[in-house]
Amino acid sequence: MPLILIVEDEKILAEMYKDRFEKEGIQVDLTFSSEQALEYLNNKKPDLILLDILLPKANGISFLEKIKQFKNKTKDIPIIVFSNYDDPKTRNDAFLLGAKSYLIKTQYTPKELVEEVKKYLNLKNKSQ
Amino acid sequence: MNNVLLINESLVFLNVVVGCLLAVWVLLANRKEKLNQVFFIMTILLVLWVIFAFLGSFTKEPQKALIWYRLNWGIVALFFIAAYFFSIYFPKKITENRLLTKFVIILCSLLFLISVFSNLIIEGVAEQEWGMEIIFGKGKLLYYIPIFFLTFLILYNLFKEYFTLTKQERLKVQYVLIGILIFALANLIFNVGFTVLRGSVKFQQLGDYSVIFPLIFTAYAIVKKELFGIKVVLTALLVGLIAILIFVDTFFLTNKFGFQIIKGTLLVLFLFFGYSLIKSTLKEIKLREDLEKAYQELKKLDVAKSEFISMASHQLRTPLTAIKGYISMIIEETYGEIPEKVKEKLQNVFISNERLIKIVNTLLDISKIELGKLELKKEPIQIEDIVQSCYEELKIIAQEKGLTFIFEKPQPPLPKVNVDPIKIRQVFLNLIDNAIKYTFKGEVRINLLKKGASILFSVKDSGAGLTKKEEEEIFQSFTRGSAGLNYFIEGAGLGLSIAKKIVELHKGKIWVESEGENKGSTFFVEIPIESNKT
Repeated sequence: MPLILIVEDEKILAEMYKDRFEKEGIQVDLTFSSEQALEYLNNKKPDLILLDILLPKANGISFLEKIKQFKNKTKDIPIIVFSNYDDPKTRNDAFLLGAKSYLIKTQYTPKELVEEVKKYLNLKNKSQ
Repeated sequence: MNNVLLINESLVFLNVVVGCLLAVWVLLANRKEKLNQVFFIMTILLVLWVIFAFLGSFTKEPQKALIWYRLNWGIVALFFIAAYFFSIYFPKKITENRLLTKFVIILCSLLFLISVFSNLIIEGVAEQEWGMEIIFGKGKLLYYIPIFFLTFLILYNLFKEYFTLTKQERLKVQYVLIGILIFALANLIFNVGFTVLRGSVKFQQLGDYSVIFPLIFTAYAIVKKELFGIKVVLTALLVGLIAILIFVDTFFLTNKFGFQIIKGTLLVLFLFFGYSLIKSTLKEIKLREDLEKAYQELKKLDVAKSEFISMASHQLRTPLTAIKGYISMIIEETYGEIPEKVKEKLQNVFISNERLIKIVNTLLDISKIELGKLELKKEPIQIEDIVQSCYEELKIIAQEKGLTFIFEKPQPPLPKVNVDPIKIRQVFLNLIDNAIKYTFKGEVRINLLKKGASILFSVKDSGAGLTKKEEEEIFQSFTRGSAGLNYFIEGAGLGLSIAKKIVELHKGKIWVESEGENKGSTFFVEIPIESNKT
């Protein structure tokens, strides 16, 4: 059963996505801040990270910067940025820091999001 | 002779009183400021200079006259130290070369000592008809060369950073310059003009006494934060000068009482109109400044508005995402079965929410363009493919309305155009969608062709049409044609505004032509092929 980590400070959204992913048989762990997520990654290794940008304190971009320091430990975890903040600079920064995709939340229903995530999980499975 | 003495005495008195008042005024304005302190010292030295020069000229005893003259020249040397410091601090402090400052202080002190305690500069005095005249010593050049150098240095300091100064700081320098120019002009008239033309030196001090003018202008420039524009100052000076000339002519040069009355009336009229002229110039300048200020404020407000829309839109998206997500999951029955009727109604909620999301996205796009944050991702595109995909997407809606919906791909294929495919598709989709929305019977026809160095897209409909006024305003934000309001067609009037901005970012043109209401309309988009190559 694949495991994904959702980094999302809006609890209502985080739980909504968790419900939908679990319906598809994808296990979900939730963290509500960048700091929490980094701590989580010290102990666990998810198959994919779904990352919001506008987070309290350290934002999604600084999470991407910090995760680089984990080196090999998190290197092969695909990260999908999933935010309503679509500033071109932030988008470019995210890609430069290794994000696989930058999705705008309002453009996706949870079902469509699951489809997007599955693409990356399948890719990962194939490459393994 | 007595008259000359009286005029000189009066002018010296005037210089001393005005000079002292200016010195105190500037010092009291800001006692701690170096510039104000320097101006105070400089002015006091200048007042002493004028007094000693007067005493030298009009003292009857040659020995005393010699002392006054030597003190006069010594003081000038000390004045240059103060003037040098003034040039460092005015209008704003420049970087000081400490070595140069020491050199200036030593040089001027030496000049002071040589002038006062030796006969190198002033050897003696000779009694003339008008007063005492200086007999210069052999070292006259020893004095003039350094003074010439110091004058150059001071002017250089004052102007070297002129072009990096703010508008007000430049104005301050210009004030000082006007003062110096008046001083120079007065010297030219009294020292050169009278001496050469009338062969008399008895008026030459009158030129020297006009030294009060640069002092007045400088003091004003130091103390006042907001200075009048140079235009006002020059207008006032000109009016003042002409008024003085008319006054002198009326009361000193005109003998006949009748003429005096006429000229006096002329003077009063001139003063009245002169005053009106200055007042209107002031008003005009103030109006222009107010307009400039208002324009800057508006620009700031515009950016603030765009930033506000941007931030508000991002915040609005979060609840919209939650509504979209939960409604879609309830419809999908993620949380259990629901009756078909409820599902149907929820579908309506979902569609309404999608409309709201679309409006927020459009607002965000507009604010991005206004903040210069919208980036085009250009690539060479077969533009007919984009139009074809829009056609396919909207075909069903047009058919449901019973419209004839036509697009024929141009043959041979058009050259590739370097555009942002997503943004250009957004423009075409919007225009075609509008054409279908506002057409109730008849047809919607899409055309695409190469026109010179451009690609011309057009969508022609037999729909609601536009009035001439609507044609002009339709591309502005929140503007909709009357048909939109009359037939309750959804929309916020933002689509065409964003379309226009996207087309303009591609250096293209967008416009509409309509025969009038209910006579259909054609929207055109022209995008250059060549200029878009990257």
